[in-house]
Amino acid sequence: MTTTLSSTSPADADHPTPFTGTPELGQPGQVDAHDVCAWFGGRLVLETVDLVMEKSKVTALIGPSGCGKSTFLRIINRMHEVVPGAQLAGSVKLDGVDIYGPGQRAMETRRHIGMVFQKPNPFPAMTIAENVLAGLKFSRVSPADKDDLIEESLTKGGLWNEVKDRLGELGGALSGGQQQRLCIARSLAVKPRVLLMDEPCSALDPTSTLRIEQTIKEIASEVTVVIVTHNMQQAQRVSDYCAFFLAEENQPGRVIEAGKTGTIFGSPTDQRTFDYVNGQFG
Amino acid sequence: MTIDLKPSPARADRDVPAPLTLTRDYSTPDRIYRAGVRISGGGVFLLLVVIGIFLAWSGYPAFQQAGWKFFTRSGFQTLGAHPTFGVLASIVGTVEVAFVAMIVGAPVAIATALFLSEYAPLKTRRSLIAMIDLAAAIPSIIFGLWAVFELQPNVVGFSTWLSHHLAFIPFFKVVSPPLNASIFIAGLVVGIMIVPIVASICREVFSLAPAGEREAALALGASRWQMIRTVVLPFGRGGMVGAVMLGLGRALEETIAVSIILGGSFTVTAHILQKGGSTISQLIAVNFGSGGTLGLHDLLLCGFVLFLLTLVINLAASAIVNRSRSGAGVDL
Amino acid sequence: MTPENTIRTAPHGILVETTSAPASTADGRQDPRPPEPTSPNTATPPTPTPRPRRLPSPIRPSAFGTQDAMILIMAAVSSLCLVWVVFYQLTSLSGGLGFLVCWYIGFVALTWIATAQVIERQVATDRAVAVVVVSAAMLIVAIVVFIVAWVAYKAIPSIHWGSLFTKDQKSFVVTDPNALDHVGVVHAVIGTLEQVLVAVLIGVPFAIATAVYLNEVKGWGVKTVRTVVTAMSGTPSVVAGIFIYSMLILTHVLTYSGFAASLALVVILLPSVTRVVEEVLRVVPSGLREASLALGAPEWRTVWSVVLPTARSGVVTAVLLGIARIVGETAPLLFTAFGSQVVNWRGYFNHDQGALPLVIFSDVRQAQPVLINLAFQAAFVLMSIVLVLFVLARIFSRPKGKNGKRMKPGPNDDDLMARLFVPIPIEQNEENR
Ligand SMILES: Nc1ncnc2c1ncn2[C@@H]1O[C@H](COP(=O)(O)OP(=O)(O)O)[C@@H](O)[C@H]1O
Ligand SMILES: [Mg+2]
Repeated sequence: MTTTLSSTSPADADHPTPFTGTPELGQPGQVDAHDVCAWFGGRLVLETVDLVMEKSKVTALIGPSGCGKSTFLRIINRMHEVVPGAQLAGSVKLDGVDIYGPGQRAMETRRHIGMVFQKPNPFPAMTIAENVLAGLKFSRVSPADKDDLIEESLTKGGLWNEVKDRLGELGGALSGGQQQRLCIARSLAVKPRVLLMDEPCSALDPTSTLRIEQTIKEIASEVTVVIVTHNMQQAQRVSDYCAFFLAEENQPGRVIEAGKTGTIFGSPTDQRTFDYVNGQFG
Repeated sequence: MTIDLKPSPARADRDVPAPLTLTRDYSTPDRIYRAGVRISGGGVFLLLVVIGIFLAWSGYPAFQQAGWKFFTRSGFQTLGAHPTFGVLASIVGTVEVAFVAMIVGAPVAIATALFLSEYAPLKTRRSLIAMIDLAAAIPSIIFGLWAVFELQPNVVGFSTWLSHHLAFIPFFKVVSPPLNASIFIAGLVVGIMIVPIVASICREVFSLAPAGEREAALALGASRWQMIRTVVLPFGRGGMVGAVMLGLGRALEETIAVSIILGGSFTVTAHILQKGGSTISQLIAVNFGSGGTLGLHDLLLCGFVLFLLTLVINLAASAIVNRSRSGAGVDL
Repeated sequence: MTPENTIRTAPHGILVETTSAPASTADGRQDPRPPEPTSPNTATPPTPTPRPRRLPSPIRPSAFGTQDAMILIMAAVSSLCLVWVVFYQLTSLSGGLGFLVCWYIGFVALTWIATAQVIERQVATDRAVAVVVVSAAMLIVAIVVFIVAWVAYKAIPSIHWGSLFTKDQKSFVVTDPNALDHVGVVHAVIGTLEQVLVAVLIGVPFAIATAVYLNEVKGWGVKTVRTVVTAMSGTPSVVAGIFIYSMLILTHVLTYSGFAASLALVVILLPSVTRVVEEVLRVVPSGLREASLALGAPEWRTVWSVVLPTARSGVVTAVLLGIARIVGETAPLLFTAFGSQVVNWRGYFNHDQGALPLVIFSDVRQAQPVLINLAFQAAFVLMSIVLVLFVLARIFSRPKGKNGKRMKPGPNDDDLMARLFVPIPIEQNEENR
C-alpha cells in the first residue's frame, strides 16, 4: 500500500551524494519518506508510513495524540535516534538523498531539515541575537553580515519589529509567543531546506498563533514546511497537503489518508478521516 | 436541592471574618514524639556548636602563647623555654595540596560526570555509577597505601621530567631533591580521591539540564559537545562551581592519605615537586602527643582553624549547589 | 510495493488510497501481538483480507563507523611513535607515567587533527571531547578496580590464615624468620567491630530521629538543622577525633579507649546517615501519611508504623553505607582509640584499643617487611568489609517489587551514596508538602 501525496517521484534518487556541499542550502527541498516504522523500547509505534512532502509546500500532519506524528516528524530530521531505546526502519530521502544512508551525519541532516518544537526553547543563557546565530555557530559558518542575517531571520519569523531594539536581551526574557517566533527565526537563520514544526502553536495564545501562521505562509516559498497540529482550522488555513495519522487501539500509528487539504477536509474517502476532521473523535 | 442565587452584599457592608485559629491538641504520646525528634535535631545543632566551642576553648592557651604570630610563623617547637610554633607553612601546604588536587581532580571529575550523564549507554550507566560510588567508599588509608607503593614510584619519574622541562614555572622548580614524599604526590592522590565526590554532584546537576533546550541545540545541527557547551554546561555552571568547592572542602581536610605520603617539614615553599611540606591535618595527625601540653593546645588550635575553614567552604558550596539545583542558577 | 487496494485518482492527479492500512503486523520479533483481522470499532469501508507483512528491519544509525575507528587507531599508533621518538630518542627521559601522559595528549591532539582533515572541525572537536570524557571515566574505574585488585594481590600471598584472625601483634619478634606465623590482626578486628558497632548503636537512632524531624515535622528549626547537618557532614574527620579528645580525654572523663573512638565515629556517622535517611524518607509517598492520619492515627504512630516501615530497606541501606563510611576512618582513631598491639575486648571503655585502619597506618611506616605485610593484610580485610557492605547496601537500596524480589533500582538510589560522603544540600522546598 502506498500513500503518496504526489504522483511525481523524486527525480535523482540514483545519486546518493551526501549533501555536504551547500549549493542547495536555502532552496526548498522535497522529503520522501518510504516504509517508515518506529519503535520505542521494542514497541512498534509507527508502521510503514509512506509520505512525500512536496517542495515549497506546507504539509500538515493531523491525528489524535499518541498516533506517532511527532515520532514521524523526528524521524525526518534524525532526532528520533536521540531517544534512548528508540529504533526506526525505512528510508527518508531529502531531494533523493537518503538521510539515513551510509556516511550521512545526523548533524548535517539537521542543519538541512530544521525543527521547531511544541514548547518554545530559546537558549536562556544567550541573547536574542546570539540565539538567532546559534545554528551558524554550530556549523562554524560566519555569515558575511551578521546584522543583516539577524534582521532577515527575525523578519521572516515575524519578530523583528518587536525586538529590534532589544537584541542584546536574553532569549528567556521574551513572552511565550515571541520565544516561539524566535525559535522559528533561529531555525530559519541556517537556511534549512525543510522546516518541521511540532505543534508550534499549542502552547500559545490566539494572537501569537495567528502571527505564526502568517509566518508559515510567508516562508513557504523558501522552505518546505511540515507542521503537526491538533487544530483543524489551522491545518485548513496553512496547509496545502494534509496527512491523517491514526493509531487504533493497541495498534501502531499509520497514515490513514493523505492528499490535498481541501480533499481531506472536504471529501475524505475514509470514514475515520471524516469523523476526525469533523470532530467526531480524537 | 435548589440553589437560591442571591447577589452577595457589597463588600463595604460586610465584615471580613477573622481567620480561624486552629489549635492542634496533640495527644501526650504525640507530644513526646515531637519533643523527641526535636531534641534530636537540636542535638545535632548543639553538637556542631560544641565542637566549635571545645576546639576554640582548648586551643586558646596556644593562641595566648603565640598571639597572631600563630598565623605568620611555622613550626612545631613547643617544648623548652622559648616555644615557636605556627601554622603558616601548614596552611600554605594545605592550599598547595588542595590546589594540585583541584587541578587534577576537578577536570577529571567533570569529564566523568559528563560521561555518566551524556555519553554512557543506559545499560552500562548504572554499573559505572556504582564503580564511581565505590571509589568514594574506599577508605582513604587504602588510597594512601596505594599512593605510597604504586603511585609514588611512578610519579617520581614524572616529577623529574616536569622539573627538567617546566622548571621555568616556579612551582616545578626543584631546589633540593629527592622528589618523593612531595606536595605534588599528595595533591595527586587527594585529587583522585575527590573525583567521585565532585563527579556525583556534577552528574546530578547535568542530568537536570532541560530536555527542550538540549533537543533544540541538536535540532539546529549541534554536535553532542556543542549541545553540552550551549545547554548543559551553562545550566550546570552553578552546580559545578559548588561541586568543585565541596571537593575543595574534602581536599582541605584529607588527613591520612596525606600523612602517609608527606615528608613533613615546616618551610613555606612553592616547590611542590620536592620532598617536604605539611598540611594542617597532617600536622595534627603526625605530631599528636609529641609536643607536651602546649603542643596539644597548638594542635587543637590548628584543628579549630581547619574546622572553620571547611565549615565556611562547605556552607558556601552547598548554598551554591542548592541554588543551582532549584533552578535559580539558570538566570545567568 | 504495489498497492493492492483500490486506488482512484483524486482530483489534481493525486493518488489516494481508499482503504485503510491492513490491521496485521506480522513481524513477530518486534510486535508479538496477534493480528487483528477486523477492527470492530470503526465503520471501515470493505477491509482487505489481512496480509502478512514483514516490517523493514531497523536501521542502526551509527555515529561511529569503520573510518572513525581507523582514525582513532591511527592516532593512537602515531602518537605512540611520535612520543617514543621525542621521549626516548631526543630528550632521553624515562618514567612510565610521563610517557603515558605525553602519549595521551598526543593521541587526543592527533585524533582532532586527523578528524578535522578527513571530516570536519565540528566533528573533530566532538570526537576529541568524547575521547577525553570516556577516558576520564575509564581512568577512575580503572583506578578503583586496580586498587581493589592490588590490595588483594599484595595481601593474599603472604596471608597465614591460621594466625591472621587468631593472633595479635604482641608476639612479633623482629628476628623471627617465621614472624608472620605468630602475628595477626585479631586485636584490630575486635577493636574495629566494637568501635563501629557501638557507634552505630548510638548514632543511627539519633540519625533516624533527626531525619524524621527534618522530614516529618514542620517549623522554623527544620531549615537551620538541615543546614547544620549539611555543614557537619563536611566536618574533617581529624576534627571529629580531636574534638572528642579535647572534650572527653583532655578533661579526664574518658581515657584513650574504644568507646572514645566510637564517640568520634558517631560525630562522622550522624550527619551522613541523617542525610541518607532523610533522602529515603522523602520518597515515601505523602499519600500514605495522609491515609494514616485520616484514619485517626496519631503522628507518632504514622511515623512508626507507616513511614519508617515503608522506608525500611532504605534505612537499612543508610546504615550499611554508614558503616562502610566509618569502618575505614583512621584519623579520628589516632586521638581516641590510640591503637594497641594486643587484644583488648573487655577494656573497651578504659583501655587503648587497636583497629584495622590503625594497624595499616602504623605498620606500613615500619621498616619491617613482616609488619608491612601485616598492614596489607589488614587493608585486605578492611577492603573486603567495605566491599561486602557496599554490595549489600546496593541490594537493599532497591525496593521490593510485587513478587517479593527486589526491583530494578530507581534513579534515586544512585544519589544515596553521594549523600553520605558529600555535603550536598537536600532540596529544601519540601516543607509545605
Ligand atoms: N520517549 C518515548 N518513549 C517511549 N514511548 C514514546 C516516547 N515518545 C513517544 N512514545 C510513544 O510513541 C507513540 C507516539 O507518540 P508521538 O509520536 O509523540 O504521538 P503524537 O505526537 O502523535 O501525539 C505514543 O504511543 C507514545 O506513547
Ligand atoms: Mg506530539
